[in-house]
Amino acid sequence: MFLGTTRSLVGASKRLWTPISIRSLSTPNQPSAPSTKTSTTAPQIKAEPTPTSATSPTSATPMPVKESAAFEKPPVKEWLVELWRSLTTLFNVLVLIIFLFLEYSRSDRLADLEKNARLPRSVQALYLRPLRRKAEHGLPVCDLQLRSYSAENLEFFADFAIRAAYYLKLPVSGPVPLPRITQRWTVIRSNFVHKKSKENFERITLRRLIQIKDGHPEAVQAWLAFLRKHAFYGVGMKANVWEHESLDAGKALDASLPEIQKTVGPHLAQFGQREDNKRPGTIFDALDNARYAEPKNL
Amino acid sequence: MSQSRILDLVKTQCRIFSATFNPQRLRLGNKILRQRLRGPTLAAWYPTKIVSFRDLQNTYKPLGLTTFDEAEDDREEAIQITKLRGKGRPKKKRTAAESRSAKKKK
Amino acid sequence: MSKAASMFHPKRLDLSGFVNTRVIRDHNKRNAFAQMEPERQALRYIIRNTSLPQRTRAQAQLQLSQMHCYTRPTQIKNRCVASGTARSVFRDFRLNRFQFRMQALAGELPGVKKASW
Repeated sequence: MFLGTTRSLVGASKRLWTPISIRSLSTPNQPSAPSTKTSTTAPQIKAEPTPTSATSPTSATPMPVKESAAFEKPPVKEWLVELWRSLTTLFNVLVLIIFLFLEYSRSDRLADLEKNARLPRSVQALYLRPLRRKAEHGLPVCDLQLRSYSAENLEFFADFAIRAAYYLKLPVSGPVPLPRITQRWTVIRSNFVHKKSKENFERITLRRLIQIKDGHPEAVQAWLAFLRKHAFYGVGMKANVWEHESLDAGKALDASLPEIQKTVGPHLAQFGQREDNKRPGTIFDALDNARYAEPKNL
Repeated sequence: MSQSRILDLVKTQCRIFSATFNPQRLRLGNKILRQRLRGPTLAAWYPTKIVSFRDLQNTYKPLGLTTFDEAEDDREEAIQITKLRGKGRPKKKRTAAESRSAKKKK
Repeated sequence: MSKAASMFHPKRLDLSGFVNTRVIRDHNKRNAFAQMEPERQALRYIIRNTSLPQRTRAQAQLQLSQMHCYTRPTQIKNRCVASGTARSVFRDFRLNRFQFRMQALAGELPGVKKASW
């Protein structure tokens, strides 16, 4: 934007330069030039005091008469006015040159800065669309659904989630805008009677779906934990995570059995019947006893 | 395939997937056992109590710290004033003989 | 068997917000139901199970019917959290229609706006 303005200024100066030189050299009598030209250019030049003494440049009607007189013998007064006018135009040009010089140096400095110093890549990436990893197999691993009542928060957080997935090397697809959930309620305006006067309220839930494809389960868990840690206000999350097992699940279970027995064994050893608690007869004898047969009272 | 073979198959299937083997389709009430308990969600309808000033007082009094409850002080002062004016609350009647209704009947 | 409802009263009132006799009573009923629900479900299972002896099932029926009325889920009524009203209470917000309107207009219910279509 900055460069654009300078360029336009330069163009304007070129346009300005030629008419002034022509007029000052060849046709000193032409009065129309300065004010009309300056009006088309930058405001700095416009602000300069334009000479409007005896012969106003804007007044067009008396011009032809004066021109015819000037060809024969220019009077002293006319000559003075002409000098004054050329001087002011010279001043104008000088101001313009200084201004352009300043502008040029500024743009030059900026260009130098751009050339020699830059923002870090991660910061530059924030101004661009989020980067994505390419999915190798396209096997869905995790579905994250974001819900919110405000679109700005939702879009922002979806963008954040996708960027986080990129840095965790997770291929991601989305955000897919899911259908909005619109809930509407109609309530009576008053707290008592007046049934015919009602008011409508609604709540629109916006949703976005982000799907992770063939990522490592641990990376997916890390991603979800990161998102939970940096949860954004007004945005809810719901994740479905799928885990895939190899076809030899049974074999793996059999192999892990001794390990499990080792850990569970001490706990199971604590279960059992106490030696001093044993009674003669079976449990059914005890149950048929009158004490047990009575209905329980609450 | 005979009927008994199919039944055996279903029985094994039920054993493996820990389902109930019920070929006669008796009503065993398993529906009730499958229901989840609704009590905790129902009991959480009303908002529970948050920490009150009195709780703070109870925690900080034993530590030797002083607390000021202006509303409570105002209340006690008002009670004192009404008592002095003879407008305090009447004494609690402990027995039936003392009660007002008993006096009226006589 | 004691039929007094006072057995379900808590020692200290553990409610905040709008409190009312009817709100407290409903709260007690909810707590009583939550406490006795496993037992009720066990009895219901015995009643429904046709493979059990008829006598046992009849006993279970009797026991269930003789439990305190506060332990029944049908006793529970949804009441407005902000005003204690029992009529036209929205389950989503636990609010009465009028309280809902007031709070929605005040912007206290997230996402709820005045609708026109």
